[in-house]
Amino acid sequence: MAAKAKRQWPFWEFTLIVAILGAGAWSSTLSPYYLSVDQLFGSTRAFIIPGLLALGLAVVVSLGEIDISLASIIAVGTVTLSKFSAAGVPLGVSAPIVVAIGALCGAFNGLLVAKWRLPSLAVTLGTMGAYRGLAFIIGSEVGYTDFDDSYLWLGSEYIFHGIVPVSLIVFALMAILVWFLMHRTVYGRRCFSIGLNTDASWFAGVDVTETKIRAYALAGALAGLAAIVWIGQYGSARGDNADGSILFVVTAVVLGGIDINGGRGTISGVVLALFLLGTIRNGMGLANIGGPTQTVVLGSLLVAGVLRPAAAAALARLSNPARLKAAGPQGVESSGQE
Amino acid sequence: MSDQPVPAEAAPSRNLVQFVLRLREAGVVVFLVLLGLTFGLLNDRFLSVQNLTIVASSAAILAIAACAQGVVLITRNLDVSVGSMMGLVAYLTADWTANHPGISPAEVVAIAVVLGIGLGAINGLLVAYGKVPALIGTLGTMSLYRGLTYIYAHGQEVSSSRLPHWMLESADIRIAGCPIYVIIAIIIVMAVAWFLYAYPLGRRIYAVGSNGVAAWFFGLRAERVVMFAYVLCGFLCGIAGLLYAARVGTVNVVLASGWEMSSLAAAVIGGVSVSGGSGTVIGAALGAVVLAAIDNGLVLLRVPEFWRMFIQGAAIVAAVAVDALIAEAIRRSTAGRRR
Amino acid sequence: MSAIESGQPIREPIMALKGIGKSFGPVKALEDVGFDVYPGCVHGLVGENGAGKSTLVKIITGLEQADEGEVILAGKSVAFRTPIEARSHGVAAVYQDPKLFPHLSVAENIAMGAYPAGWLGGLDRRRMIETARHHLARLGSDLDPRRTVAGLSVAEHQFVEIARALSADVRVLILDEPTSALTPTEAERLFAVMRALRDRGTAVIFITHRLEEIEALSDTITVLRDRRHVATLPRAEVDRAKLVQLMVGRPLETLFTRRDRPSFGAEVLRVEHLSLEGVFADVSFSVRAGEIVGMGGLVGAGRTEIAQTLFGITPPTSGDFYLKGEKVAPNSPRQMLGKGLAYLPEDRDRDGLIMPETITHNITLPILKTLSRWAVIDRAGERRVAAKASETYNVRTPSVEAIVSSLSGGNRQKVAFAKWLATEPVALILDEPTHGIDIGSKAQVHAMVSQLADRGLAVVLISSDLPELIAMSDRILVIAEGALVAEFAHDEATQEKVMLAAARQSGRRRG
Repeated sequence: MAAKAKRQWPFWEFTLIVAILGAGAWSSTLSPYYLSVDQLFGSTRAFIIPGLLALGLAVVVSLGEIDISLASIIAVGTVTLSKFSAAGVPLGVSAPIVVAIGALCGAFNGLLVAKWRLPSLAVTLGTMGAYRGLAFIIGSEVGYTDFDDSYLWLGSEYIFHGIVPVSLIVFALMAILVWFLMHRTVYGRRCFSIGLNTDASWFAGVDVTETKIRAYALAGALAGLAAIVWIGQYGSARGDNADGSILFVVTAVVLGGIDINGGRGTISGVVLALFLLGTIRNGMGLANIGGPTQTVVLGSLLVAGVLRPAAAAALARLSNPARLKAAGPQGVESSGQE
Repeated sequence: MSDQPVPAEAAPSRNLVQFVLRLREAGVVVFLVLLGLTFGLLNDRFLSVQNLTIVASSAAILAIAACAQGVVLITRNLDVSVGSMMGLVAYLTADWTANHPGISPAEVVAIAVVLGIGLGAINGLLVAYGKVPALIGTLGTMSLYRGLTYIYAHGQEVSSSRLPHWMLESADIRIAGCPIYVIIAIIIVMAVAWFLYAYPLGRRIYAVGSNGVAAWFFGLRAERVVMFAYVLCGFLCGIAGLLYAARVGTVNVVLASGWEMSSLAAAVIGGVSVSGGSGTVIGAALGAVVLAAIDNGLVLLRVPEFWRMFIQGAAIVAAVAVDALIAEAIRRSTAGRRR
Repeated sequence: MSAIESGQPIREPIMALKGIGKSFGPVKALEDVGFDVYPGCVHGLVGENGAGKSTLVKIITGLEQADEGEVILAGKSVAFRTPIEARSHGVAAVYQDPKLFPHLSVAENIAMGAYPAGWLGGLDRRRMIETARHHLARLGSDLDPRRTVAGLSVAEHQFVEIARALSADVRVLILDEPTSALTPTEAERLFAVMRALRDRGTAVIFITHRLEEIEALSDTITVLRDRRHVATLPRAEVDRAKLVQLMVGRPLETLFTRRDRPSFGAEVLRVEHLSLEGVFADVSFSVRAGEIVGMGGLVGAGRTEIAQTLFGITPPTSGDFYLKGEKVAPNSPRQMLGKGLAYLPEDRDRDGLIMPETITHNITLPILKTLSRWAVIDRAGERRVAAKASETYNVRTPSVEAIVSSLSGGNRQKVAFAKWLATEPVALILDEPTHGIDIGSKAQVHAMVSQLADRGLAVVLISSDLPELIAMSDRILVIAEGALVAEFAHDEATQEKVMLAAARQSGRRRG
């Protein structure tokens, strides 16, 4: 039998681990400080915010949809927090509200995509601008930096003898939660089913609209959480917060092995891809490689990530041309005729 | 049920579809007029000839970019590297011009165009032949092109003092009181519109976007058509980038960043469908004028700039929703028994 | 007068098919099909659904490449890579579902691929519109060529398709069910055009389910059955009875006979005056526990639509539906599965299964709720359920972790059965359950359906396979053009009766 077991060996995850080790080894040659525990843990802070977005985006992409408005939702969250902080509202009250606002923004995307059946790319491109504008409208153009100390704790503090950032713990918890959601619960199974075949899933009694709206809301809520981390890390809130970070997020998801057309991939892959990107970025920072080059590397990795399935298919075709002949548009077309 | 004459029943929705499809651009014009009147009522300077000229010239380059985006959208794809292509072309061309004093205008244009075509071809290869989803592929090249601009620039900008006079002065040329950029934009948009309207390849661009399955059944080679659309998009971005460089004089690395968004907004507002096959580049150019008018009006009314972002985003969502309604009406009125 | 009837010497065939074979993965779509097509001759091509007609058309026009055999056009072996290439050689087809570009005008759709060139190499719109008008006029249609295709009726779509095929200088014209959406007057006009073309020497391959059309128009008739060539005969040598017999005739061992005297329980499913505007109207029937009610009819008669409406996919515009005496208003599959109705879709690979998933995941998808605690899936339990189900339904696989797309058609269908039956329904609608599966699996499916009914399920069996329909059903309903037109008890039903009833209303417009 050609395809006997579903996941024989987590090949892609393994590749990512090797790549991380390679990048780590390269980094350690650049700076003697690289391998210190402080440095390693500290460097993870760089990808916690995009990491939270990537976890949410992974769920959305597993459905075969996309959300590129997530970075703008962070900005909505940070400026809202600045208002709360200025009004003296304790974080215990404002944090859940901000997460809820994020979820609401996400759910609105989901409503447009799932209920009204608008193309997710165009819709979230629109809400990306709209939410960003909203953030500016709420927060005005001047940044707010006068945060109450309690607001900074989550994003800036370290625990365990000042080594492990609190935000890393938060990220780890969220990663485990999303992993569990996607790979162990009914909801996750339904997400992957919809991503593979929306119609068949609907025929099998899956509520597609509801599932999609929930995924968008979850991604929005994680963006809200990321906003709280942001305040701690940067201590400032402005309408342009996190602008442009969506490239990193999409790259992490794609490189993590989530099929951009939906239905396949693992959360562990996404987390590993985040580590890889973080390590590469950290290393490039140590090597004094500038931001622009980093952007080029990121862009190339993204393109490589999406070309990977196509390349694999091409390789398979080269090694075994006969078997794949029936596939392709012809195969799809032939069903449903007569 | 079976004896009823069908046409009588289906007629209203059918006419509506036809009507909307035909008159999408007219709708944009009507909207533009209403917008102008509103701004004119709120601020008497808005409708002055001088101000309208400003609106037109600020819309000119965006109109070309929107036209580039429109061509790709019609094939049911998308190009978010428009701004980066413009930036890279502008920087490289300006740098080359600065380092080669005495270069002729024709050579400069040729460099910009060739660069644009090359960058567009890379996008086209990725999307049409690499089967990479358009958003992801061009998101990658967007950062790639922008990053290359940074790397090449090394933090330097090409200052206006190093550029030839004819280039810097070109932006101020007026023919019969009309800025030359506006004329160039009109000529280019009209030429592309004519090409799409009247040439077989142009019609195939529409055909591929209109119904991919039909194109396959018909035997059209969709890859070539999509590839061509991206090359044309790159070509237009090359021209737009050069014009932008000449207008601002000092070319820096962030030139035209964010234009992928503006060009898309302009095209979608101008009635180009994100689900392919419908809309015209003239509409896209009109969309650019709408955006420029909103910008200008908001400035005159002293509304903070960031409202523009919100309005632009909301406009995209609204335009997409209208689009989806039309697509739904088409689907319902067209053959096909399944859902 | 056709060439054959007028007694002219028979010319060389314009097109000859030799041993055409094609398979999609493990599924055979065509085996060893061969016949000759002569110029000036209407060649009728008939066969039941799934007999391979559409695949054959696709191979001739270059949409699919044959695995075996060759197509010979005017003495030369050809293998077109695209329909455009075929058209340039004078071979054009009109497909079953019109495939047009909705945003473009009628004229452009007709001219696409062969634009008249005008000024500076641009296209000459005036000439394009004139040509389109001319071709449409030949079909007796006064459709405005400048209109956008979006918004045209199905019949108008069909005319545009036909006009497009005619616009090339055709030597071989293939019409795949061209009249299914036409009124009798429109169909008559089309037939006149076909006769005119034939008299000019064009070869017309004509595919239809309507036997009276075949009788009225064809000079030669080819019958396909089970993806094989059965016979090619001159019109004079066949009558309708013979045609039907050739189409449905089948080796005896494939037939499964239902148990002798079934006893039925209480009424499980009752449908009253169910209508979906423009698709079907005023359909009423009921099914009792343990009963298999067959539903026969032509493709496009509305059977699948009735089933999908009951399953909540397209809610009805009027009418009532009772399940176990309880009135339900179907609005989603999820709701209907909850009420105990399961539906095995016609297009198994597209709607029935998630092909790239494992057997386990497919079987348990509708019942995940019951297999989980606190929304966490009990994975061991899930595998147990799947293993048991695939054993019960005889799925031949090395493991339940196998990917469904690697299975054969028959095994896929068994997985689909296992999946729907895992929901423990009280009523089951089967839509073409043996379509495209091999003979061995077919018998197993028949036995399975029979057993299910014996266990007390109410079964609705939609099938275009007449022997199957008659052998399996306790009662047969015939649907034609969206209406219930006949009902036969098991004893009184014959293939001929059912087919005649199904074709009876032919020619009337579908709303």
